[in-house]
Amino acid sequence: MNGRSLDSASLVAGLVIAALGGVLLLDGTGAVDLRFAYLAPAVTATVGAILLAIGLSRSRRA
Amino acid sequence: MGIEASTAAPTLRPRIRRDPERGLIAGVCSGTAQRAGIDPIIVRLAFVAATIAIGIGPIVYGLAWLFIPTADGGTIAGRLRGGRGSVEVAAGAGLLVLSALLLFRALGWWYSDAVTWPTVTAGVGGALIWRQWMSVPAGVAPADPGDRDDPGRGALPFLEGRMLGTVGLGVALVLGAALVFLWANGALNAAGDAVLAVVVVVVALGLILAPLWWRLGRSLAAERAERIRSQERAEVAAHLHDSVLQTLALVQRRADEPREVAGLARRQERELRAWLLDRPPARAGQSLAGALDTVAAEVESAHGGTVEVVTVGDCPLDPGAEAVLGAAREAIVNAAKFAGENGPIDVFADVSPQRIEIFVRDRGPGFDPGAVPADRRGVRESIVGRMERHGGRASVSSAGGSGTEVELTLARSES
Repeated sequence: MNGRSLDSASLVAGLVIAALGGVLLLDGTGAVDLRFAYLAPAVTATVGAILLAIGLSRSRRA
Repeated sequence: MGIEASTAAPTLRPRIRRDPERGLIAGVCSGTAQRAGIDPIIVRLAFVAATIAIGIGPIVYGLAWLFIPTADGGTIAGRLRGGRGSVEVAAGAGLLVLSALLLFRALGWWYSDAVTWPTVTAGVGGALIWRQWMSVPAGVAPADPGDRDDPGRGALPFLEGRMLGTVGLGVALVLGAALVFLWANGALNAAGDAVLAVVVVVVALGLILAPLWWRLGRSLAAERAERIRSQERAEVAAHLHDSVLQTLALVQRRADEPREVAGLARRQERELRAWLLDRPPARAGQSLAGALDTVAAEVESAHGGTVEVVTVGDCPLDPGAEAVLGAAREAIVNAAKFAGENGPIDVFADVSPQRIEIFVRDRGPGFDPGAVPADRRGVRESIVGRMERHGGRASVSSAGGSGTEVELTLARSES
């Protein structure tokens, strides 16, 4: 706890990347069959969510 | 050694920079390798492997191209940026929409590649064009002669530099999407599909030209608003000329007659107030409020002094209102005669659908209402008697030295 304010962009980025990692882990264990048709939107959504969080965070700070 | 390590300034590692000079495409791999201190070929192979394995190589490369700065510190995104964070928001939202489309496609909730992708592309192009056109203020017109000499601005002098580039990109996207749509549907090969081709071209042109039509409409609205403002200014100027300026001329001519000048000023003030409150003086003969104003002006002219009238609500001059008006006139005249020199006479009228109430207050020496001789009919008949004859009530309150207040109340018949 160093008193720094919460960085919402980092939080969102961490959460969505963790979610993507979870999905990839499930794919690796065979629990789900992740084909490219599903992986591509997952990756795109991850990057999109991170960018959106960064953009909103910057515009809020401006 | 340990002391040295703890007191030395932390070594600042150089930020990652794109290196277009030595790069094969945009210098992303070259810059990354330089930052990592490895051979660029290793990074390039990693990108190729990522593309072959899971297909995200081009996406990552594109994002790196957008957001990694060159040696001069500028990024592509920074150059495109309108407001802080707007590019990231736009890119993020776009990618989320793209991921949704890809998901729908994977799930089979899909109409056709030949329709959806050109539509999405045309939508992006149209959005770019709209955004640029809408960012130009409506008042900006390509009619500044000073700008016509600038060859860089061409026929659309309010579009310049980056803005023109963005509009060009939008136009290219819309036209490209239209062509892809035609090609994917075979319309470019089959003469029988000429109608479809025409429809698509018309839609594409509509997307491009709609902002122009929109701007034209806005310009016309702005021009109309300006014309209305000019007319209002002219009307105000004419009114001031006919009223205030004429009065000021009269005041100059009669500067040696203070009472006359004061009367002129009061009349002008009242007229100006009525005009500012959008209360036409023509109502004087038709409504109680207008008639009270007229009475006040007449009393000021005849007896001097100042009569301040405040009215809340209004009603037509029916017999009841005329009775109240007559009583009020008598009260105002009395106040002007006996207390006009002691300050302004306040007249407050409150007209509601249920009743009419008028208060006339002066700051004179006051008097004893009970001591008024029987042969003086002013208060007794013209005020109290008149009000009672019409079903109303009048009360006179006065105490020595604190002025006099006459209260007139008349219930109105519901109509």
